[in-house]
Amino acid sequence: MKPALAHKRYRQRIMGSALGYLGAVFGVSFLHDSFTDGSIFALLISAIPAAFIIVMLWAVWRFLGDMDEVAHHDNIHAMIEALLIILAFTGGWGLIELFNDDFPRLPIFFVFPGFFIIYGLIAGFKYKRCV
Amino acid sequence: MKNNLKALRAEKNWSQAALGRELDISRQSVNAIETGRYDPSLPLAFKIARLFELRIEDIFQDDIKNP
Repeated sequence: MKPALAHKRYRQRIMGSALGYLGAVFGVSFLHDSFTDGSIFALLISAIPAAFIIVMLWAVWRFLGDMDEVAHHDNIHAMIEALLIILAFTGGWGLIELFNDDFPRLPIFFVFPGFFIIYGLIAGFKYKRCV
Repeated sequence: MKNNLKALRAEKNWSQAALGRELDISRQSVNAIETGRYDPSLPLAFKIARLFELRIEDIFQDDIKNP
């Protein structure tokens, strides 16, 4: 596939799913006070944004398959490096949490944006070396 | 692995972007191969060789010295 077409498709998919995600988060926040915490309805409604996270991950997966082999190689490396960094950070933080009751609890949610921020920075650095 | 892709491209008067279009890869990817930062797969190496009407070993050379 032509790199320009792969980028175009990725942008369309990721922008669509990101907008859906934002809409779902705002929608759930708006409805939050109208349902009882812990009810089946509350759990189902809260999980709606997760559907868009899955679409975003699918878009990334498709992009990895559509990009040329050099970009594929660099992005896989960037992902592995980001994964190792996030594992080291969350593993370390988790152990400190376990042994220190006063240490701030970090919601597991932040693993998702944390991973993609680190991956984006590393991939951007690798891309910059080729410009 | 060493390669003379840059020289071959210059002979054809192609930019990196133009070579990338011929090979269906990005300009950045052409740059990565030319500078030796990335060794192409066999299918891509064959594609490059076909494009320049050369053998793979005429373009890519193993930089490990023969014993």
